[in-house]
Amino acid sequence: MRIGTLKETYTADAALFDSRTQHVWLAVGTALLLLFPFMASDYWLYLACLVSINVASATGLNILTGYTGLVSLGQAAFMGLGAYTVAILEIRVGSPFLLNLLAGGFVAMAGGLIVGIPSLRVKGLYLAIATIAASFIAHFLFANTAFTGGTAGLTLPPASLFGVVLDTSFRLYWIIVPVTLLMLLGAANLFRTRVGRAFIAIRDRDISAEVLGIALLRYKLLSFGLSSFYAGVAGGLWAYFFRVVTPESFPLSMSIFFLAAIIVGGMGSILGGILGAIFMTMVPELLKLGAGLLPGGSELTVFLSPVRTVVFGLLIIGFLVFEPHGLAEVWRRIRRFFHLWPFRN
Amino acid sequence: MQTSSISQRRRALLLAAGASLIAPLAHAQAGEDIVIGGSIPMTGVFAFAGVGINSGIADYVKIVNDGGGIKGRKLRYVPEDTGYKVDVSVAAFKKITSQNKVNLYYGDSTAFSRTINPELERTGNIMMTGASFATELNDPVKYPNQFLVGPDYTEMFGILLRHIAKEKPGAKVAFVYSDSEFGRDPIDTSEALAKKLGLTVPVKIMTAPGSVDVSTEVIKLRRAAPDYTIFHGYILAPIPEFITQGKQMGMTSKWMGTFWTMDSSTVMKMGEAGDGFMGVMPYRYYYDTSAKAPMLDKIRQLHPDYQSTAYIQGFLAAMLFTEAAKRTLDAGKELNGKNFKAALNSIKDFDTGGLIGVPITIKGNSIPVGRVYKADMKAQKMVPASDWIAL
Repeated sequence: MRIGTLKETYTADAALFDSRTQHVWLAVGTALLLLFPFMASDYWLYLACLVSINVASATGLNILTGYTGLVSLGQAAFMGLGAYTVAILEIRVGSPFLLNLLAGGFVAMAGGLIVGIPSLRVKGLYLAIATIAASFIAHFLFANTAFTGGTAGLTLPPASLFGVVLDTSFRLYWIIVPVTLLMLLGAANLFRTRVGRAFIAIRDRDISAEVLGIALLRYKLLSFGLSSFYAGVAGGLWAYFFRVVTPESFPLSMSIFFLAAIIVGGMGSILGGILGAIFMTMVPELLKLGAGLLPGGSELTVFLSPVRTVVFGLLIIGFLVFEPHGLAEVWRRIRRFFHLWPFRN
Repeated sequence: MQTSSISQRRRALLLAAGASLIAPLAHAQAGEDIVIGGSIPMTGVFAFAGVGINSGIADYVKIVNDGGGIKGRKLRYVPEDTGYKVDVSVAAFKKITSQNKVNLYYGDSTAFSRTINPELERTGNIMMTGASFATELNDPVKYPNQFLVGPDYTEMFGILLRHIAKEKPGAKVAFVYSDSEFGRDPIDTSEALAKKLGLTVPVKIMTAPGSVDVSTEVIKLRRAAPDYTIFHGYILAPIPEFITQGKQMGMTSKWMGTFWTMDSSTVMKMGEAGDGFMGVMPYRYYYDTSAKAPMLDKIRQLHPDYQSTAYIQGFLAAMLFTEAAKRTLDAGKELNGKNFKAALNSIKDFDTGGLIGVPITIKGNSIPVGRVYKADMKAQKMVPASDWIAL
């Protein structure tokens, strides 16, 4: 049971982690993240890196859609911008990979600022359609420019840090996971600042927000820019992870994947973005692992593969129907249960 | 005396312990399975082929194991569904290779082959083939541990163009292709080859993959009045639309396709428009009884119903894997990607049991052999329209 969480200062009240229990869990989580690479197989390390990249991008989309209320289906295109920037810099310039990642983020941010302009006139589904255009334009540019390698795309060498070639999931884990954690920390802190709160005000009622003195143009574009920056860095990590970037690497279905992730996880919640990305990436794999435990060999695999896809779809529908606030709300309810235990359960 | 007896007993115990430690190792060495992993698209847009590929590999593995394996070693096939997505394919690869000592691998796409190539080179343990016939993969320097189970797309065009040059010298050949890596793959090099063979390419038309409304493109095609039109980068749509509208506009072109369009069931879906549709096929069709083909007989025994060309591709991939493993073991070499590939490249005039109509030799990364088949809608079959053409 959680009792007596007395806050004596505003700083303590606004702290991201405000109780000893949270600090303990944070320490346990950090220790597990540090130990994980030494205990896990290459497969699990690969999945951990993939989940991290997806968490970073989903968090970016959550800033835009979950917190600012601007629906976007262009997240994959912004990831593509980041990935191509990183690939081009790595191949042609050979600049340090952390610098390339930042450059990827900023190029995607520039793209986001341009795509965000219609958000001043259109909202909801109309804005989503406008952002789809970004996907098609980006695909066209990637596929038809010699600079980007045309339809064959670009193959980049592995990143290296202090002479260590980052060519395995184990080595990349030490870059991808910390970068993602840093981005999560940045996003969590954002909503303790004026900028983040302005985003929330715009989401809740943009006219009222403007009356309160929030410049819609500035903040909507800023939200697009930040979201795209996250996507760009995630795309850069993606490029270093897969080392092949083609126009077909970032399809529209990928944007839908991220939108589904934040809806399933819980919009307007950092934890929601994390849980949603984990759910969308891991559940198909876990279903596969579950199916693999059944006897029957490759014949059963053929039969179970479409069944698995149906189960995954049903799970998403189930969450939307039974918990519209997403996995983050499920988590909150579990926490609340323990907060009140044993007096109320 | 006493000391000596203790010492002898100790020595005997040590020997027994040593033997008991070594025995399973020696047994494992002799009887260790040869593992074929597979990133197979059993769901998603490529499932139509993936299910057949899976079945073809599984059947050949069973045939080999029923016959005693390879030099006493069993083959073990470990497939995973990928949904035809690169990240899932790589996850499948990592999962299978983490849980098994994989020797050979089947990949589902060009993108996967390119993505996993550095990993293949880094570990050096695996030789890989897959569903891709991309020209880029036909490069033993860039892709030393990979090969294609047939001709690459440029070679497929080469086979068709040679057939055309022989049938109608100086003919006009139009290329219609999809705006994708798959579609654009052989176009530029094939245009150059056409010129070399004395053919002309009056028009090249690029469409969106799977596009439906192609009326503008058909008008463009009709203006060019080609004698032959080669489609590439599609499975089915928009080929029937092109042919139907083209015929309605009085076009007399002969229509052609490449491997992934050429499965019997796909061509038969074209209906009336598909009558006389031709294309390149590196393998004999399931029902082709025009020559002796013991492997096809075996497949027909296993499956009385039609098996797709994707099935034959998977079956042949497993056959070539087996042959490479057998040759590597015969040479007493370590089972790794480099030795498998060297063994594969030692294949000369190899009889595929009639799956391919001529003995094959694998010099580089591809098997540049194929035949032109033609659709007979009345018989609902693809019938040979040329002899086997080896480049």
